[in-house]
Amino acid sequence: MSSDGAALNKAIIEMRIHKRTPDAGGARNPTGPAEAPPEKTWKFSEILAHPDIRERWERVRKYFFLRESTYDMTRRCNIRCDGCYYYEGEKQFAEDNRNPDDWRRLMAGEKARGITFVVLAGAEPSLVPELCEVCYGEIPLGAVATNGLKRLPDAVGYRIHVSVWGNDATSERVRNAKNMLDRQIDNYRGDDRAVFIYTFTRHNIDEAGGVVKRLADAGCRVSFNMFSAPVGYGGDLRHTDASLARTRETMVDLLARYPETVLFSHYSAAAHTHGRGLHDLYGCSYPRMNPSTDVGLGRSFRQYRSDLTWDRDAACCVPDTDCPDCRHYAAGSAVVTARLFRHAVDPDTFAAWLDYVDTYLAVWVKGYEKGANLRDWFVAPPGAPGVETPG
Amino acid sequence: MATDTTILRVAEVMIDELKLEDVTPDTFSPDIDLVDEVGIDSMDLATVALVIQDEYGIRIDEDDYTKLTTVRRIADYIETKKMAA
Repeated sequence: MSSDGAALNKAIIEMRIHKRTPDAGGARNPTGPAEAPPEKTWKFSEILAHPDIRERWERVRKYFFLRESTYDMTRRCNIRCDGCYYYEGEKQFAEDNRNPDDWRRLMAGEKARGITFVVLAGAEPSLVPELCEVCYGEIPLGAVATNGLKRLPDAVGYRIHVSVWGNDATSERVRNAKNMLDRQIDNYRGDDRAVFIYTFTRHNIDEAGGVVKRLADAGCRVSFNMFSAPVGYGGDLRHTDASLARTRETMVDLLARYPETVLFSHYSAAAHTHGRGLHDLYGCSYPRMNPSTDVGLGRSFRQYRSDLTWDRDAACCVPDTDCPDCRHYAAGSAVVTARLFRHAVDPDTFAAWLDYVDTYLAVWVKGYEKGANLRDWFVAPPGAPGVETPG
Repeated sequence: MATDTTILRVAEVMIDELKLEDVTPDTFSPDIDLVDEVGIDSMDLATVALVIQDEYGIRIDEDDYTKLTTVRRIADYIETKKMAA
């Protein structure tokens, strides 16, 4: 990994639109788009004429039926983390509804209005496993966001995201829990439901290599998240331009070193470590930032609190995040994915988007196996400056 | 107002691209709401918009396609764009 911080910072500051050299493009993509003139207007059919793109497009589009909403399962948690989103804003004061019949009715109603994918979150869903089972019984596709300290029973057949915020020393300091990674691995080693989610803060970038190695040695899989400040956050975990660049470099380095363990892509790294946040780059689709009730998340998405109420004005995947700073993996999974139309401009951009969607599906949908990434270099988000390959 | 030819062709694209069953271009009501009554979502509409762009050589604005929620609206949009070209 390069340690040339000055060069990295220069690359970020300049934010030039990424252009591949003929050598790199020709070697990596013999089918031709690298040689095409940049002003060419590509037809969608021409983009799909590339066999690898067509194959991946046909694979991912089968999942376009997924329509998500999220649910806070309880206001309780077994740890307290610095920068936790749950304990910000109004939702933390909602009373718990622990009546399985009420949850069953809620899920039946959600299914009736077209929700096909549920995300069970805040504060700690593993403390109410019986309610998670009720949800699974009604809507069998979904994911649970957990700290992994208490194993969810096998009867909850959702994808399980186990949150990791650094090595054990950092976890003890930030999350007040000892030996966290060992306990998480003990609970989910060999469990095909589990994907560990490493959240990069400004301060734990260099710890990621050791954590990913331990996860790889244990046969676990991992994907990446970015710390995104809650509203009013005054702590020091918020990213800077320099930490975004170092995170990006670390992400793609780990992706190269542990391809069987790391579920990610170059475009995922570019989108989530860009100097501009997700809303600025793509336009957030969640109701909190999207007043439109046209077809899409602005119309269908709801974020239920633990008392089974919801508020359209506050509804997004991680409520009480400071929207301009949002680079959440959960947000990107919907926001970037929803921008199909915008990415269908040339083979490289569309292939990069397909890598992103392929990653999203592997991370969120149990049973979906990620394919090889189609583009192992940085492609610029449409209409935005690109990011340079560091070093 | 869109021609019957355009309406039929749009219906055909919808059926082919979205693999709709139990309907033909002739029986596909041009005024049925694709979102509320057929169950089509934004990704489906984006896909159809891309195919329509190819076929008719028009440019569909990203802000527009989510409002094209019936076959007739899509056909009218095509005709308007073609006349403006």
